[in-house]
Amino acid sequence: MTSDLSRLLNALGLVAVDTVLVLAFADQLWFRDLPCPICILQRAGFIAAGFGLALNLMFGPRPSHYSLAILGAMVGSIVSADQVLHYIVPGSGAYGDAIFGLHLYTWSLIMFVAVVLGSAVMLLFDRQFDTAGPLPWRLKVLPMSAVALLALLTLGNIASALAICGAGLCPEAPSGYLIFHENLGLALAKTP
Amino acid sequence: MMSLPFLLFACGLAAAWTSRREAAMGFWVAGVLVLLVLFRFHATDVLNLGL
Repeated sequence: MTSDLSRLLNALGLVAVDTVLVLAFADQLWFRDLPCPICILQRAGFIAAGFGLALNLMFGPRPSHYSLAILGAMVGSIVSADQVLHYIVPGSGAYGDAIFGLHLYTWSLIMFVAVVLGSAVMLLFDRQFDTAGPLPWRLKVLPMSAVALLALLTLGNIASALAICGAGLCPEAPSGYLIFHENLGLALAKTP
Repeated sequence: MMSLPFLLFACGLAAAWTSRREAAMGFWVAGVLVLLVLFRFHATDVLNLGL
């Protein structure tokens, strides 16, 4: 596998991670489904995993970058597995709405495992680590767009976490945007 | 507090964008450590698995 093909596959992987984060924002803003603290940490896990893929795109593929993606995904999978185990016993309830029969934390766990598997498979191809020249401009558009979107989503999550949790730790089941309740007296989210 | 890991990852991406790879990886490590600490604070319920 050439370095260029590896970068293309990394770009597609990062687009998949970006898509997960965009869908999470859509669920939060469109359906007014506020994320729980553990859900916010799962988003951070996706960014940690995507970070390794982004480094592959910016500096060229290296085993250490895949390592970051795998470790980030493993941390994220620990967080999502904890939430899955909370609701795995029949009758123990769930958090949020199901999408295609599975809740968001279950989809998260599946995606984290996919990132680990994908990165492990990519590590099998040694030729991608040969020194490669700079990417031609036409091959840069998708990778750089994916990295820019990851950066934008990271900034969006800073604002979102600040709005939901304020400056401290998050309430277990947020019922509104704490920062507006506390600082401006506004209630933008759905009322219980 | 919950925005701290995102802030560190954003700093890491900014460092990577300006070609400072080691700094980017340092911010990533810091972000993951903060993520784990926050998880420790929030994962306080005992799992109801009855093992």
